[in-house]
Amino acid sequence: MTNKLSTNDSAYPSSDQGASSQPWVYSDIVKDHFLSPRNFLMGDENQYSHDAEGVVGNPVCGDQMKMFLRIEDNKITDVKWKTYGCASAIASTSALSELVKGKTLDEALKVGPEEITDYLGGLPEHKFHCSVLGHEALAAAIKNYRN
Amino acid sequence: MSQPDKISPGPAYLDYSATSPLLPCVRARLHELIDLDYGNASALHSLGQFAKGIIEEARAEVARLINADPEEIIFTSGGSESNNTVTNIFSGQKIAVSTIEHPSVLEPAKAHANKIMLIPVNRDGRVDPVDIPPDADLVSVMLANNELGTLEPIRDIVKRCKTSKTYVHTDATQALGKIHIDVKDLDVDYLTISAHKIGGPIGIGALYIKKGSPFRPLIIGGHQENKRRAGTSNTLLIAGFGVAAKHVREQKTYRTYAEKIKPLRDQLRLRILAEIPYSSANTPEQGCLPNILNMSFRAAEGESIQLYLDAAGITISTGSACASGDLAPSHVLMAIRNDAEVAHSSIRFSLGLDTTEQDINKVMEVLPKIITYLQNISTINLGESHDK
Repeated sequence: MTNKLSTNDSAYPSSDQGASSQPWVYSDIVKDHFLSPRNFLMGDENQYSHDAEGVVGNPVCGDQMKMFLRIEDNKITDVKWKTYGCASAIASTSALSELVKGKTLDEALKVGPEEITDYLGGLPEHKFHCSVLGHEALAAAIKNYRN
Repeated sequence: MSQPDKISPGPAYLDYSATSPLLPCVRARLHELIDLDYGNASALHSLGQFAKGIIEEARAEVARLINADPEEIIFTSGGSESNNTVTNIFSGQKIAVSTIEHPSVLEPAKAHANKIMLIPVNRDGRVDPVDIPPDADLVSVMLANNELGTLEPIRDIVKRCKTSKTYVHTDATQALGKIHIDVKDLDVDYLTISAHKIGGPIGIGALYIKKGSPFRPLIIGGHQENKRRAGTSNTLLIAGFGVAAKHVREQKTYRTYAEKIKPLRDQLRLRILAEIPYSSANTPEQGCLPNILNMSFRAAEGESIQLYLDAAGITISTGSACASGDLAPSHVLMAIRNDAEVAHSSIRFSLGLDTTEQDINKVMEVLPKIITYLQNISTINLGESHDK
């Protein structure tokens, strides 16, 4: 399974053209991570072998995130995620997956909500909790691994 | 599978219930008036009387549209002010409202009433007149719900309220222009309307007050609107509202909605249910406005659907309040489905007089791909992988 998406289909305008060049509610980086999310796990999660997983949130509250980690020698060698939620929730998990790949578990745990938000070029105040959830999902996965 | 945002079938505006573009006749009138000198409509001099003439002409048009008398119409800043005005009349009294009223009824009713009584709705979002509390001083039930399009049985509610001497208000903001409205036939005491839902300007609305019904102004400190709404009359926007009202009446837009728009809405509904797995309709099949369609998609969140559609040039709105800054799910969807996940996973299409079959095709070109994409990255397991 791959999450490399075909982005070079010339039949369609790229996302920075046409209607989507209009003003947007989030930063350009959030928009990019929302429309072209990195490292997400497409379809059945059982098809992706992983060493740890963590889940936070609840669809009833509008957001749920799940992180899947491959770990070797205390180091995150690969990250995948799944998210049910709004654009900033999807972008936050996407950003986090980029931020922690290759880091040791202790280094990864230090990637807090502020770092995720900064990486995304900011989030609206009422969406800051999306970055908190991302951080918590990763922390839950690492905790599960260590236990 | 290709990334959904890379597909752009061209723009389609399907958010007419949020606001409708200015009608060409309204635009022309606004352009004409903004270049003219007119005075304060309260002034006795000729420039003032010129403005007054414009306002009274518009009042007559707005009244004619709903079969009211001009003196039964006051101009307000919009639907929210009209709704606040009515609940304020009944300050300190018992107010009954449906659970799916617009917040501009719900919140002031709660703030003003001595006792608030909530009237339940069924799965279609409809009030049963037998549930109207007999001891309320004011009952406020909307003519059509803004999120679902569901029509409420206002005539039957009014009949029931006659015996208990309860006054009835209906918020007709979404219904205006979409269905025929006659205040004498509805027999309500108060009715709220707004210009920008029918192609008039934003920032102007009206309240119908039946002759003899109690009244107390919300905004005091001026004799405008026959001492019923203080503040210098907004000549320009009132004139725009008048032109929009005239257009809607003369063109009998409710017929166009029934004959041309409703079939397009029904087609969109059927195509979504047939072509998109795990979709469900929140708008009832019968007894609703011709132009609104509210749908839920399991495992795909409303704001994300809205913004992917936006990136593809398609404008809709979300039942998920997530986008608006309020993280609670829609109170309307919670009232009819009582499932927060369903409520978070909903969007509203609202069609207008300019909507074409092409617009529906544009939606169906991208929406199935967007939903499948979001379902595939969702944490919610649909029981099978439907990776295409």
